[in-house]
Amino acid sequence: MKISKYDWNALFVTRTVASWLVAFIVFFPLLFLMVTAFKTELQAIAVPSLWVFEPTLENFTEVQERSDYMRFAMNSLITSVVSTILGLIIAVPSAYSFAFSPTIQTKNIMVWMLSTKFMPAVGALLPVYLLFQWVGLLDSQIALIIVFTMSNLPIMVWMLYSNFKDIPHEILEASRMDGASLWEEFRHVLLPLAMGGMASTGLLCLVLSWNEAFWALNLTSANAGTLAVLVASYSSPEGLFWAKLSAASLMAIGPIIVFGWFSQKQLVQGLTFGAVK
Amino acid sequence: MSFLELQKVEKYYGDHHAIKGIDLNIEPGEFIVFVGPSGCGKSTLLRMIAGLEVINKGKLILDGVDITETPSSKRDLAMVFQSYALYPHMTVEDNMSFALRLAKVDQGKIDKLVKEAADKLDLTQYLKRKPGALSGGQRQRVAIGRAIVRHPKIFLFDEPLSNLDAALRGQTRVEIAQLHRDLGATTIYVTHDQVEAMTLADRVVVLRDGIIEQVGTPLELYDKPANRFVAQFIGMPQMNIVPAALLQNVPAGSSFAGIRPEHLSISDDSRLTGKVVLVESLGNETLIHLNLGDQSPDPLIIRSYQRTTLKLGDTVGVNWSDDIVHYFDNDGKVLHLA
Repeated sequence: MKISKYDWNALFVTRTVASWLVAFIVFFPLLFLMVTAFKTELQAIAVPSLWVFEPTLENFTEVQERSDYMRFAMNSLITSVVSTILGLIIAVPSAYSFAFSPTIQTKNIMVWMLSTKFMPAVGALLPVYLLFQWVGLLDSQIALIIVFTMSNLPIMVWMLYSNFKDIPHEILEASRMDGASLWEEFRHVLLPLAMGGMASTGLLCLVLSWNEAFWALNLTSANAGTLAVLVASYSSPEGLFWAKLSAASLMAIGPIIVFGWFSQKQLVQGLTFGAVK
Repeated sequence: MSFLELQKVEKYYGDHHAIKGIDLNIEPGEFIVFVGPSGCGKSTLLRMIAGLEVINKGKLILDGVDITETPSSKRDLAMVFQSYALYPHMTVEDNMSFALRLAKVDQGKIDKLVKEAADKLDLTQYLKRKPGALSGGQRQRVAIGRAIVRHPKIFLFDEPLSNLDAALRGQTRVEIAQLHRDLGATTIYVTHDQVEAMTLADRVVVLRDGIIEQVGTPLELYDKPANRFVAQFIGMPQMNIVPAALLQNVPAGSSFAGIRPEHLSISDDSRLTGKVVLVESLGNETLIHLNLGDQSPDPLIIRSYQRTTLKLGDTVGVNWSDDIVHYFDNDGKVLHLA
């Protein structure tokens, strides 16, 4: 059956409108958040919602005054960066051995590692909480770094594994024949070839750690709390402060959105590794 | 004492006994070719010499030193891989100088060695390119260049020509032979292609199922095969094997007789007759396939250097001289006749 030009146009218009609609629905909560952050508390709870008003910055100054935004931001930065670096230090050698010297058990170990992500985090909350309590690490950056590293490790190992798998084994063997020690092999051959995969693995884990809320909320508060804790503190028993909550949320997600915007190409490449050749 | 000695070398992959006790001595400057059907262990054996596979039993002695447990990086051997295995992120120059840079050779000397190798291999104009921008043949030459700049103790080649097209393969084969004559370096070369084995080797090692079937010069293998396997593996088309019962005056104990196709001739004074089932005219030679009937399952192939007027279905007689017949016992071992 021949499709006329008219049908093609109609199809194109329908598809465009549908795409924009879906995009708008997905984006709407973020838009709502951004708009609310610039309202007064009174405007924020108005029904129906106000879309035209005089924007104010008072929520942002109050968030900074009331709860020291910078300290939470620093906690987020330190815990996510350190856990990512630590994770890479552990995951790179693991993935290397899985990818280049596999044994009969390699597949099983890797599936087991991934299976730890099947369990809901809350299932391990009590023992983890008690352990950190016993060693006196509650509300510390160290506790979060440990938990973030451990929970990201399976994903990191898997991503790096599939990345390394794309590198022909013979190239590494060639470097060994050329006299390269293990470190030289890593430094001069594996690292340059796997740089893209390692970078995207690191980026993803940075984002995951930055956004992590469950463990941050349960293991930390005023001292080592991350931005997730800061945001949650605005939905407290004293009542909901929508405008300030929105401002705090915007300040919490701002850095990572900017960061993600600049690194999105790298991220997409890492996540679709193996899918596109 | 030999330059490289393999002493009862064995390899297991789990339960699979891949290499079953290999003894081999290689002299300095020799060009040794490992040949055999796929799965015979020839590549595994090469990789064990390279240090890329662990040796489970036995010893490997290089120049008087036991290197059985020495890591690849310390063996001072160079290898050319089937896939070339060039470093894709480095230029041709960097690929070739990588080993020298690791060994902290003086930069002036590196430049000189790389230039020499590049000249020899016709790569000078490509030195600044990356491997991705080269043709298959050029990549192959870079892989060889990477090996020769180092002046290693032994060159190892793992089926280096199998990724090239037929014309380039022939040309590169000649170049490798030339290179070996120029450098005089000890070389071990793995291939499944018997033409490469016959043309390149000083000595050929024929492997099957992890054991050595025979070691010898190419013509020794062709003229005096130790067993039925070697007899049929070397030579194209392969040696005709017929049940000994079909012939007269066979020596005691022989079960099969082997005659190479070029040693058979069509004759009225015939000792065997058969029906023509296929005629392959190749121009310089003609291969005539005869069906011997129920007694022999495989057709008998005659290589004739004259053109023929024979047609399918014709019945013809064949003859040969007795001194070129190989007799094998029931186990396939050749019978040595007094």
